[in-house]
Amino acid sequence: MSGGGGRGWDGRFPGFDVLDQAPHWDRVTADVVLARTDTPTAVKFFTEPEEACARALLNLLTGQDGHDGELAVPVLEMVDSRLAAGETDGWRYDDMPEDGQAWRNTLVLLDADARQLSGTAFADAPPADQARLVQAVQDLASGNWHGLPAAHVWSLWTRYACTAFYAHPFAWAEIGFPGPAYPRGYKNTGVGKLEPFEVGDAHPSEDPVREDV
Amino acid sequence: MGVRERNESAWLLPNDGTRTNHRLRRDMRQFADSDEIDLVIVGCGAGGSVMLQRLARAGWRVAALDAGPFWDPDTDWVSDEAGSHHLYWTDPRVIAGSDPVPMGSNNSGRGVGGSMVHYAGYTPRFHPSDFATNTVDGVGADWPLSYPELRPYYEQIEQELPVAGERWPWGDPHGYPYRPHPVGGNGEVFLRGAGKLGITAKVGPVAIVNGRFGNRPHCIYRGFCLQGCKVNAKASPLITHVPDALAHGAEVRPEAMVTQIAVDKHTGRALGVHYVTGGRERFQRARMVAVAGYSIETPRLLLNSASSRFPEGLCNDFDQVGRYLMVQGAPQTAGRFDAEVRMYKAPPPEVSTEAFYETDPAKDYKRGFSIQTVSPLPITWAEHVAAQGHWGPALREYMSDYVHWSCLGGLCEFLPRPENRVTLAGEKDSYGLPVARFSYSQCDNDRALARAAQSVMEGILHAAGADEVITIQRYAHLVGGARMAEDEQHGVVDRYGRSFAVPNLYITDGSVLPTQGSANPALTIMAVAARTAHHLAAGLS
Repeated sequence: MSGGGGRGWDGRFPGFDVLDQAPHWDRVTADVVLARTDTPTAVKFFTEPEEACARALLNLLTGQDGHDGELAVPVLEMVDSRLAAGETDGWRYDDMPEDGQAWRNTLVLLDADARQLSGTAFADAPPADQARLVQAVQDLASGNWHGLPAAHVWSLWTRYACTAFYAHPFAWAEIGFPGPAYPRGYKNTGVGKLEPFEVGDAHPSEDPVREDV
Repeated sequence: MGVRERNESAWLLPNDGTRTNHRLRRDMRQFADSDEIDLVIVGCGAGGSVMLQRLARAGWRVAALDAGPFWDPDTDWVSDEAGSHHLYWTDPRVIAGSDPVPMGSNNSGRGVGGSMVHYAGYTPRFHPSDFATNTVDGVGADWPLSYPELRPYYEQIEQELPVAGERWPWGDPHGYPYRPHPVGGNGEVFLRGAGKLGITAKVGPVAIVNGRFGNRPHCIYRGFCLQGCKVNAKASPLITHVPDALAHGAEVRPEAMVTQIAVDKHTGRALGVHYVTGGRERFQRARMVAVAGYSIETPRLLLNSASSRFPEGLCNDFDQVGRYLMVQGAPQTAGRFDAEVRMYKAPPPEVSTEAFYETDPAKDYKRGFSIQTVSPLPITWAEHVAAQGHWGPALREYMSDYVHWSCLGGLCEFLPRPENRVTLAGEKDSYGLPVARFSYSQCDNDRALARAAQSVMEGILHAAGADEVITIQRYAHLVGGARMAEDEQHGVVDRYGRSFAVPNLYITDGSVLPTQGSANPALTIMAVAARTAHHLAAGLS
């Protein structure tokens, strides 16, 4: 598997904006969700070098390459605020440090890998090198990466990245998901049925991965 | 007796569109620490709340201490995945073994209502065979009680939740008090695929109101069952048992973390519990203690309650505490359709089959699995997609296809094994107590079951017209860890949940279950607690 490919997610749900429905959400939910679209708060957990490395890594994992006009999801800030608050998933592997320390340790290691390959910190490495370095960790599968179980490092990175990215209304709009549904609920359930505020997929038979199979 | 005469909870909730009876909480009885109450319960989830309600009704002076908040669905819960993180028990825990089991959102609740606040809502019964797997199939363990002894309590709890579903043809065939819900896209796909293959699948059984029950309204098919039901349609003890308990003089003491059970070193009887609230250490005296902290925290509390009389941990003279902890293998298989399924529209729990639940002599494995709709929301779905190895642009592309996918989950009866257990880690939590270390490893039978369940799910989805299927290996639920047995060499408690070691100490949660079947455990945990409560209230102990 790889992180390569085009932008097959663009324009599948033309005109669909999750925030259009925000006036119909309950206030408590709206407060929580809309706060994610505010200007991100200052970084608290990561040090400056860690922040640069983590930002590059998280944007890479979530396919955010600063493409023209893209509404960016502040994944770095979202992960940082979780780590600053000690908001873990409620467990750690016995062969990994607790999450905050695991993040710090793995960012140092990733920078070290980048210096070896590209002669720069990870954040300053060319995109192709960044992708190669990250892919190398995934490819180790059940092997070891600098003494840490690579699969558990991969799990840490992708869990935090995906949880942050797919918590954001911009990401929901891209996948056709309308977000909060209280107190409204749904009236038209069933295959092929849409609510008035939902937008159908413009390319329903273009399974973006079928060509890869 | 009608359900309202036995349990008035649903009628004690407001009917004005808000979800919490604040007056009932404000007027709640409050015991002093120095009162020797009849029973102190540790944990106010599925097992603890049923005990609380039953014994309050019996006139006992009873309080339940819970480490988490006393939730108000209106102000504490959101219709959002990431925003529901506070519903999970996320204090530190260490996971180990060859197949470590993630905790938190997967299986661990926090606050009054317990894990049922964020469970999907499936409430199947166990099958009669689950109570004698050792005798019937030569694997697992026999319970010290049989299915017919539990049946009346199943019936009671099904009425109190109440459960909606089609007539159930498996196990001990039975009906449900409420008709099945209409299904959404995911349920439709499951029924279509199963129908083509001749596999019987049924709608339900779910503890989600279909119609109106007391002042609890009809489900609005919002799809956020796992984030806490803001509607009060999905059952959790917060709304099904706690209101009636309060109305009968029980106390719920939230934000009270029990740290140790005290035992008199001369008499060997429990004296009460040490707990921390508002940063202060306190002690609640009680004539009897019931532990209902679920399969990780219950063994941890017993181990953390070591004393000179119990140097290896309370009730652990025979090294049984924390052992035989079970999780169900829960492979999750999704299928892709050109039509839009939009599985997030409708409750994730819709349709199940138990056609593969029992041992099939033609197979090379024992016991079986059930299959249910699961309908993950975007973050959980991203975990499924990322497990295929996708990241970056490939992940984004795959995810943009979300509306086209249907998703099924298997529940495989992984076997109880002594080495799958909770012990204490070197690391300490914010109370200064050693945290739980949960080691888990699968056996060959477990792996064979997961493969078989995946293969059946792939078959159903292909039969329904899926052009591609993808699977993630997961776990679901917890039970065991302080199991009931015939004697103290094989378990921690007897058939009524009374510990072998301490005569006035009971365990009334999922940790007492000796086997897990392929059924979601909430209903069985409640039924077992109701049986223990009945036994105590009748003075039979």
